[in-house]
Amino acid sequence: MTAEIHIINERCKGCKICVEVCQADVLDIAEEPNPSGFNPPYVKTLEDCTICGLCEMLCPDFAIRVSYIEEEDKQ
Amino acid sequence: MSGTNVTTVSREGQHPIDPFFPPDSMPSVWCPGCGIGTIVYTFVQAVEEMNAEPDKICVVSGIGCTGKIAEYLNFGSHETTNGNVIAYAADLATKKQDMKVVVFTNNADFLVSSAKDFLDIGKKRTNLLVIHFNNIIYCITENGAIPTTPFMRASADNDFELPFNIPHLVKSSGAVYVARWTPLRAGWLKYSIIDALSKRALSVIEVVSPCVVYYTFASKIGDAADQLRFYSDNSVMKQYEPTENLDLRSQSEVIIGKFVDKKED
Repeated sequence: MTAEIHIINERCKGCKICVEVCQADVLDIAEEPNPSGFNPPYVKTLEDCTICGLCEMLCPDFAIRVSYIEEEDKQ
Repeated sequence: MSGTNVTTVSREGQHPIDPFFPPDSMPSVWCPGCGIGTIVYTFVQAVEEMNAEPDKICVVSGIGCTGKIAEYLNFGSHETTNGNVIAYAADLATKKQDMKVVVFTNNADFLVSSAKDFLDIGKKRTNLLVIHFNNIIYCITENGAIPTTPFMRASADNDFELPFNIPHLVKSSGAVYVARWTPLRAGWLKYSIIDALSKRALSVIEVVSPCVVYYTFASKIGDAADQLRFYSDNSVMKQYEPTENLDLRSQSEVIIGKFVDKKED
């Protein structure tokens, strides 16, 4: 399974909850601010993502979404 | 930006909450890191997981930060005046027997204005779910003592008293389901809301959620993420704890869990 993390930058308020709760250290805070002036997260190491969904569940601004792609068997 | 894997998607359908929370109104009015957003998303997830019809759920809220929930959510929503929240919702639940009425309250709505109404409706087995946000303050009385100020937390007027024990109050008024969680336990909270939505009598869930901006003690803890972790680290889960022991004290841990789960008559 391959993880897909969608970050909706213009909704983010920069509370850093997603970065704090991520056990696999996938996310980090970007240096470029979004249109509201907050620094949204960006995906640092996508291959470490375990698709636990904590960032999506705890984001108070509905700005991050985790989905996954089922890979076909390579036989 | 160095994040190469960020996928840009179209505006429609970019988040599971979008059918219930209009995307045009985002970002919401709540402060960065406020637990209200987390709990609203948890509630929507619970409704989706139950496959409940959105027309059969009615959201009522009053004033303040939680009052905005009824403005935003796309269920049948009513935002009422201060002091009438519980009474309005109880009337609505009595008249619309096929609907599930969910009330979002805060300290001002619940303890000051509506506690008297609450004593009436518990005995009548009103089909009502109350989700109470206890953020320990009122926004406008930042430094004064209020009914939920934790014990031995001296306020600006050097007044301290025992905090109000909300689970004990609601259990003695006849609630069949009483639980208390923190926002970082959103997974537990989701299944708790599912349990409570399936009851046909009065059920109450208290969420101890920090006010990340106005609480004066907050500057000693840190920003929103640190506060959520502080509240989660200082909570201990004790299922079916007697409700007498559940008042919030500054020096001891917050007891969370499910305290009452009775079968409705």
